[in-house]
This record gives sequence, C-alpha cells and structure tokens, in this order.
Amino acid sequence: MEVLRNALDFSDFPRVDLCVAALVASFLLIFPLFHFSSFAMATMIQFLMFSLYGMGWNTIGGYGGQVDLGKAQYVGIGAYTTSVMLIRWDVPFWVSMPVGMSFAVLWSFIIGYPLFRLKGHYFAIATIATSLVLKDLFEVWDFVGAARGLEISPIKYHPPDFLRLIFKEDVYYYYVILGFFFLGIFYVNWFRKSRLGFQLRSIKDNEDVARSLGINVHWAKVKTYAIATAFVSLVGSFHACYIKNIEPEDTMSLDISILIALMAMLGGAGSLWGPIIGAGVLIPLKSYLKEWLGAKAGLVGIDLIIYAVIIMLISAVEPRGIWGIVEKARRRRSV
Amino acid sequence: MDILVGSLAAGILIGMVLALVAIGLTIIFGVMDIVNFAHGEFLMIGMYTGLLTAQGMGIDPLFTLPFAAVVGFLLGVICYYGFVKFLLRGPMVAQLLGTFGLMLFLRNVALLVFGSEDRAVHSGILVGRSFEVGMGVVIPATKLAAAGLSVVAFVTVWMLMNRTKVGKALTATALNSQGARYMGIPTDRMNALAWGIGAASVTIAGALIVNFWSVNPFVGLLFTMIAFAIVALGGFGSVPGAFFAGLVVGIITEIPGIWDFFTYTFNLDWMSRVPMTSFKYMWVYLAYFVIMVVRPRGLFGWKY
Repeated sequence: MEVLRNALDFSDFPRVDLCVAALVASFLLIFPLFHFSSFAMATMIQFLMFSLYGMGWNTIGGYGGQVDLGKAQYVGIGAYTTSVMLIRWDVPFWVSMPVGMSFAVLWSFIIGYPLFRLKGHYFAIATIATSLVLKDLFEVWDFVGAARGLEISPIKYHPPDFLRLIFKEDVYYYYVILGFFFLGIFYVNWFRKSRLGFQLRSIKDNEDVARSLGINVHWAKVKTYAIATAFVSLVGSFHACYIKNIEPEDTMSLDISILIALMAMLGGAGSLWGPIIGAGVLIPLKSYLKEWLGAKAGLVGIDLIIYAVIIMLISAVEPRGIWGIVEKARRRRSV
Repeated sequence: MDILVGSLAAGILIGMVLALVAIGLTIIFGVMDIVNFAHGEFLMIGMYTGLLTAQGMGIDPLFTLPFAAVVGFLLGVICYYGFVKFLLRGPMVAQLLGTFGLMLFLRNVALLVFGSEDRAVHSGILVGRSFEVGMGVVIPATKLAAAGLSVVAFVTVWMLMNRTKVGKALTATALNSQGARYMGIPTDRMNALAWGIGAASVTIAGALIVNFWSVNPFVGLLFTMIAFAIVALGGFGSVPGAFFAGLVVGIITEIPGIWDFFTYTFNLDWMSRVPMTSFKYMWVYLAYFVIMVVRPRGLFGWKY
C-alpha cells in the first residue's frame, strides 16, 4: 500500500506541471478518437515506445549518471524472446514478455557486474562493445533466424488476438503501449522516491561520499541497471509483436542505443518528465522529416543531418535538455 | 603453415595502419579527456579525399597523402573551434552525445554528397602487385606500402609529440591543463592542435587504406570501434601503447585465418562448422571488453 501511495503521489511537483501532465494524459487517452492518419498513429506508438525506453535509460543514466550506450542489446533480447517463443511454441505475449525480461535482467547482471567497475567514458564504450558482440552473435545464430531475422506472420492468428498481441488495427497496440506508458510513469515516480533512487542520486553527485555513507555503490548501480533493462526489454517484446519482423540490424544497432540515450538527454536526464518531452519532440520530428525530406530523390540522409545538428546543438548549448531550460526560466522568475 | 604465417603477416601489416588510426584518438583523448565518436568518420573523409584526388588528378592514391593530411588538419581544427570547444563546459554525457552527433552529421553529409555505393581504386602503380616472401606467403604491395608509410607517419607524430616544444606543450596540457595555462601555454590552441594532429593522422591512414579497402559513407563506425579497442589496450593517452596495441588488434582481426589454419592442420570437423569470418570483428569488441574489465588502464596507460 505504501508503495502504491508513493507511486500515485505526484504532490511534490508544482501545480502547473500537474495541469500540463493531466492535459497531455487526457489527450493521449482520447487521441485515437480524432481519426488522424495511420502515419500519425504509428508515430504516436513510436513516441510512447521511446518514452518508455527513455524512462528506463533515465533510471540508470539520468538519476544515476552512468552513461549507458548499449541499451539496444536488451531491446533485442526482449524482441527475440517474444518472437521465438511465439513462432516456435505459440507462447502468448503475456508469458513471453516476463520471460524475455528475466533473460534480459540475467544478462544485465552478467555483464553489469564486471562493467560497473568502470566509470565514465570507459563504461559507455564498454556497453557499446557488449551490445555489438551480442548483435554479431545474433547475426549468425540460426535458431533466431541469423541475419534474416524472424517474421511473425499474422495470417496464422485471428486478430484481434489479445493474448498474443496480434492486431490488425494500430488502435489496439496504441492502448496496450499507453497502458505500459502510464505504469512506467508510476513506477519511475515511485523509484525516484525509493531508497534506491536516493542512493543513486547521491552516487551521481559524489561517489566517494556515497560510499563513505555506507551505500553499496556497485550493487546499487547493478540493481538499477537491471531495472532499466527490464523497461527496455518489455518494450522490446512489444516491438516484436507490433513490427512483426525483427532483424538484428534494426533492433540491436547502435543507433537505437544512442536514440534511447538521446531521448532522455534532450528532454532532460534525471527528471521524471524529461524522457517523455524528449521523445515527444524527437520522434515526430524524426518521422516527419523522413517523410517530407527523405522521400525526395537526391536528398538521402538530409533528415539525419538535421537530426545530427539538433543533437550537436543541444549538447553544446544546453546539456541539461529542454527540462533544464524550463527550470532555469522558473528559477529566474522566482528570484 | 602458409595460412598461419600469411594471416599473421596480414594482421601485422594492417595492425600498423590501425595503429595510425588509433594514435589520433589517443592524442585527442589524452589532451582533453574527450572521446571522439567521429573518429572513424574522419577516416572515411580521408579515404574519400585520397580516392577523389587520385581520380581527379590521375595519380596513385599514395601520392595524395599531403592532401589528406591538410584536409584532415583543417577538418579537425574546424571541428574544434566550431563545435567541440563548446562541449568542454558540459558534463560527460553531453560530450559523448555531442561527438556522436558530429559522427552522424559527417556520415550523412558524405552520404548526401557521395552517395551510398561502394567505391574503390582500380588503378595505381601498386594495385594488383604482390611479393612472394617464401613459404607460399603472398603480400600485396598496397598493404606493404600502407604499413610502411603508416609507420613513417606514426614515428613523425611521435617525434612531434616528444621531441618538439609544441609537443611538450601538448603533453603539459594533457597532464594538467590548468597548470599549463598558468605557465603561459595557450591551452585552447593546444586543444585545437590536438584535434588537428589527431584528425590529420587518421585521414592519412584513410588515404593509405583506400588502395585496398572500398569506401562508403558507413565505413567509419567499424574503425571507430577498432580504434577504441586499440586505445583501450594500449592505454588511453599513450602513444607507444597505441603502436603495440595496434599490432595486437591487427592480429586479432586475422583470427579467422588462424582458425582456418588449425582447422586444416588438425582436420577438426567442428572447427570448420563455425562461421568464423562473420565473427571477424567480434573478437575486437570482445578484446575491448576483456581489457576494460581486467586492466582498465591498458598496457601502457597513465591516465585512468
């Protein structure tokens, strides 16, 4: 009960935040009623998925200050577990998702335990290396379809199939991921007020002081890494059912890892709303830029150029992201 | 036996080039503690510079090294003053993602300008020639020339770092930038110089390998990761470390050949069934991981 009360208690935010959050939440709930184009729908689902990825990254990267650039491997583990179990043994999503999550968490302990002896850049690059190793392995592993990947053919099932999460219309997917999205927000809201959350923030501020206060720094990091992993693997499982066709190249590539970190960074790492804001800005921008500019002949990659310029600007001008700008403005007004 | 010796020789030759790739990264890291994700993209630009100058002027790519060096130096300095300088104030996350943004930017500009198809040099005085050094080992002349010139370039950079006043100033900046500033060393200019030298050495490497490696805009990431592995093994910020680690990593990339040797020699069935060539670069990443966990300082590192 205590946990639940903490998770649902947002009273330490200013009233303005809560009003905006309530508006956004109600908009998200009634969004499908507007009957926007299917492209807008797909973009919204992407937005919700990447907000969840970002929230996961935010626990270790934002609150804990450990830059992890290897999250894509857990997307892959989640997605592959769900696809393999569905295709080979017809296991429903709601069973395979927790199984994938356990695999991902197990793997995160295996590599997190040695990795967290490293700090800063060393840690970041090592996470990239592990992610690339796993991707290379999946590309030659025949059981999971090697480089061709796996395809869930929707013909075998009778949509709407709520157990296996096979739908024809995107609306169903939208509401499933929206449910996870709200759960994710509540979880992170509890997390930031939990004992681990406070430990983690003290580690970010000063690791030596945190250790001298009796915090088991290494174990706290490994635990939080596992939490972040669980988030990412959950969305990975959802991704497998939603996209229905997964390959190592687009579920486990470095770009995904960076995108996940970028969401949280752009919005403001270390704040509850940061990843959501980041995904809300970046995902629509990315997909519409691709739609408008990428399709035109002779302009291949111009969407990614604009995208790269945004990354460069945000990291050079305001590293604390959009939320940092908001907070700065607020502080100026209150003084 | 010839496979084993051939693989080792190929590994050592490519290792010398890789050492030149890594020295740029290690200088930049040593001087200003910033990890440059765009390093492989500099190499890609060096490869395009070599290729296009060679084709445009009708000369062998090996003679385009000065152009590549100038382009690389300018590129590095522009990147520093235009962008990286502003990153230094921010936290580490911002630096990592910032240089990643630079990588994405350069890669996609190259994609826009050059297109996505593979390009390679087909003409040149050395292309297609090779030496036979006995025991059935054949060494392509292009690789030999690239390795030799890499060593020359490497030694030049090493001399620059250790035997000149500018190099001493760079080292001082690396050791303690605040102290160096008090001593009257213009640390900002030293940082720019580090970026210039770093980028120039890697573009030279790019112009060297274009003789035997086809170039496309996506070639960079592989070299960035290899360079990270070399720098990690040699020790962040260590120049001689980069050389030995380059040789080691060069041999690691030839593991499939060595594997083949053992497969044929002992005629093992299970070994031939492992698709070793698709693991070619996995060993490099794995090596990086193991080095970082076992000895984060690297073999010759002084900075950790």
